[in-house]
Amino acid sequence: MLHIYCPYCEELREEEEFSYSGEAHIARPTDPEALTDAEWGDYVFFRKNPRGLHHEMWNHAAGCRRYFNATRDTQSYEIHETYKMGEKPSVTSQGAAQ
Amino acid sequence: MTSLHSPLAHVELPEAHAHAGVTLREDKFRGHLNLRGNPQDEAFTSAAEKVLGVALPTAPNSAVENDAVRVYWLCPNEWLLLVAEGAEGQTEADLRAAMEGQHIAVTDLSSGQTLINLSGENLPEVMMKSTVYDCHESNFPVGKAVQTTFAKAGATIYKCADGSYDLVIRRSFADYIFLWLKDACAEYGLAVQ
Ligand SMILES: [Zn+2]
Repeated sequence: MLHIYCPYCEELREEEEFSYSGEAHIARPTDPEALTDAEWGDYVFFRKNPRGLHHEMWNHAAGCRRYFNATRDTQSYEIHETYKMGEKPSVTSQGAAQ
Repeated sequence: MTSLHSPLAHVELPEAHAHAGVTLREDKFRGHLNLRGNPQDEAFTSAAEKVLGVALPTAPNSAVENDAVRVYWLCPNEWLLLVAEGAEGQTEADLRAAMEGQHIAVTDLSSGQTLINLSGENLPEVMMKSTVYDCHESNFPVGKAVQTTFAKAGATIYKCADGSYDLVIRRSFADYIFLWLKDACAEYGLAVQ
């Protein structure tokens, strides 16, 4: 079981309390009418599937019920950081922790 | 005319044990209110404090109480208020009056939730079996309130001053949780008050 730090409850909690909610930082297009079908399809359906660092949303479903973000390594399952909605990750593939 | 039925009104009580390691007491028909608002808004926090007599707790997993109400922090903008049976209507009305015009929500959850208290010398063992949360006193001191799972069902667990736990659970899960406890406490003896 993973121990996941909820940035709102400010403690490590069991994975059982959480649910995974997919890729983070997907901004809704400001002018959807102006998109081509292909661009809209990309926004709605297509997601990254990296081997390595991934920024993703989790929901503390059985706890505070807030959504937050996590930077997780999809290969090792290591969670490098969790951070609140609206915040930027500090661990990225450009500047990953050494 | 309405009559109140406890969520556990129908359960068959276990046979009395000479030595019960765990005691279950249902604190039925308490008033449960959910309050939402912006804790950075001074008008909101002062109105809540005026009505409740205590300031809303803002530290995660914390709770405060006085003679009339116990307040659990649920998330940065949400609290659970536990009041005496029948007091929920007046408390809701008082909160609405004090917060007139503010962007808030007060929801009466009294008929959807119930509160059970667990005590006894074998409680630590039963908690270890039942919840994923670490109930060791270094992690779960008196006065702390956490939302977690109990027998995989959602529960808000509060550690009381006497070392017992108050569990707020959904009414519809009360029967299931009782049956879980009956089984989980079989080797220690379960008493129901
Ligand atoms: Zn949380």
